[in-house]
Amino acid sequence: MFVRQLRNELWKLFGKKRTYIGFGAFLLAQVAMLMAFKFTRWQSDFERMLGGNGYVPTEFISALTVAVVMLIPQIILLMPLYATLVGGDFVAKESEDGTLRMILCRPISRVRLLWVKWIAGIIFAGVLVAALGGTALGFARIAFPWGGLFVMVPGQAFSAMPAGEGLQRFLFSHLFLAVNASTMVSIAFMFSCFNMKPAAATIVALSYMFINVVMESIPFFERYNDFFITHHFRCWLLVLENPVPWSRVFQSEVILVATNITAFIIGAMAFQVRDIKS
Amino acid sequence: MTDALIHLTDLRKVFGGRPAVESLDLDVPRGEIFGLLGHNGAGKSTTIGMMLGQVWPTSGSIRVCGHDVTSNRQKALEKVGAIFESPVFYDYLSGWRNLDILSAYSGATTKARIAEVVEWVGLTGRIDSKVRTYSHGMRARLALAQALLPKPELLILDEPSDGLDPEGIHEMRETILRLHRELGLTIMLSSHLLNEVEQLCTRIAIMQKGHKVFEGRVSEVKAARGRVMLKTADFDAATALLQINGLITAASEGRFIVLAPGRSTAEVIRLLVASDVAVEGVWQHEQTLEDFYLNLLKTPPPVPGK
Repeated sequence: MFVRQLRNELWKLFGKKRTYIGFGAFLLAQVAMLMAFKFTRWQSDFERMLGGNGYVPTEFISALTVAVVMLIPQIILLMPLYATLVGGDFVAKESEDGTLRMILCRPISRVRLLWVKWIAGIIFAGVLVAALGGTALGFARIAFPWGGLFVMVPGQAFSAMPAGEGLQRFLFSHLFLAVNASTMVSIAFMFSCFNMKPAAATIVALSYMFINVVMESIPFFERYNDFFITHHFRCWLLVLENPVPWSRVFQSEVILVATNITAFIIGAMAFQVRDIKS
Repeated sequence: MTDALIHLTDLRKVFGGRPAVESLDLDVPRGEIFGLLGHNGAGKSTTIGMMLGQVWPTSGSIRVCGHDVTSNRQKALEKVGAIFESPVFYDYLSGWRNLDILSAYSGATTKARIAEVVEWVGLTGRIDSKVRTYSHGMRARLALAQALLPKPELLILDEPSDGLDPEGIHEMRETILRLHRELGLTIMLSSHLLNEVEQLCTRIAIMQKGHKVFEGRVSEVKAARGRVMLKTADFDAATALLQINGLITAASEGRFIVLAPGRSTAEVIRLLVASDVAVEGVWQHEQTLEDFYLNLLKTPPPVPGK
């Protein structure tokens, strides 16, 4: 029965157009960034940086490198927006539309209902990240040759590796990106369980993450970085480091997974005590 | 009451300090079509919400199909179907997919059962179309189909005719009677439409400002034939004469008399004619549910603690 309920939840999720807004936006952004990289000074500046660091630009101006270059701003700017948009809809939109009342005429417990919805949210996060990475690499491959992976994010990651290892790391980093996305979905999901509109749930979740980013960037709070969720979102970049700082990656993943579970529990508690009225 | 499918005891719900339902005791016996009447804000929807475990009661107990809704909601709602005013669905999905989604929350429901219900409500030809293409009447039928999927014993209908045109209201009324007749369902119906309730229900409860102010059989309400309309040249003289002779207990509005127990209109006419009072007409005034309802709601509800 759980599988049937989950399948139906996915039907509901992927049957509506607004679920695809994120996918569409990612595609457009990727095409725009690819064109910008190829046809502006961005590529030549990047080649100069590679050369300055002792690498041969022709080896590392590759589909993998460009895919990572394209991913970074999208993950920072677009992924929170679209993950929270969908997460904020899960309960609040059904409540607003009135379908939640219809569901809660049924002999299903509220916790079970939320559990099914949350799992659907996690699946959505995985699909979103897979689509994002897949299309980024696909588009980059159309315009650039296959080659090594070069990553440089000041203060966070600096590495270069051959194509085979680069592809493995690229794919592996998507597991961590999926955890990031599911955390974003879970936070919005939690707010959506309270008595609020779907847009409000999305905005509150985004605000929470924005406050994290702002506080994290204030020098005074540097020693408290571990308390900011957005700090741990960067662990996907650590996977592209050489060598991988596994203890930091593990610590961040534990915190993100715990955040997911906590968000679900708080949401479930709020939903359990709520009166569902028309 | 042992065979009551809905049994509410001393039920109370307070929203932010404002009581929505107060000290409500109610029994809906098996096999009845039970009407819950009241103005907007009387507490009908809150009561129905509590019956379905959507609204938590502040105090009191709710038993549906023999199970406590607060502590054993799943069991209590196993054989319950419900329809709300202006039924809402996932418009972007087909009628069939909507039924599949909703039935999955009720336990195992086969495709054959869905097809059977779709046929029963007459949606077979359109069940694969997206719900956004449905008319209001078709949505009402789809709502009925989803309510029937778990083979319910009890159907709870909250303003089922809301938003329907006269033809749709008629169709809904006929369907409710058919459900009662053919499937033997117990039906709990809340409505503003007194005419609809009068035609459908066997028993009613009337709520006012969260209090139940009446509960009884519709036939009892209609059979309350106390009032008789009397048309004479001198109403006051005629009623004085009738009261002296013990035939009536009261007169009102310059045209109504209330017969004393055991007295008939024939005796009234005989006395007036014998006393040389010209009688232009005497009619038994059958009380409609509307008369009863409106008279009842003129009385303020009981004040707590008094």
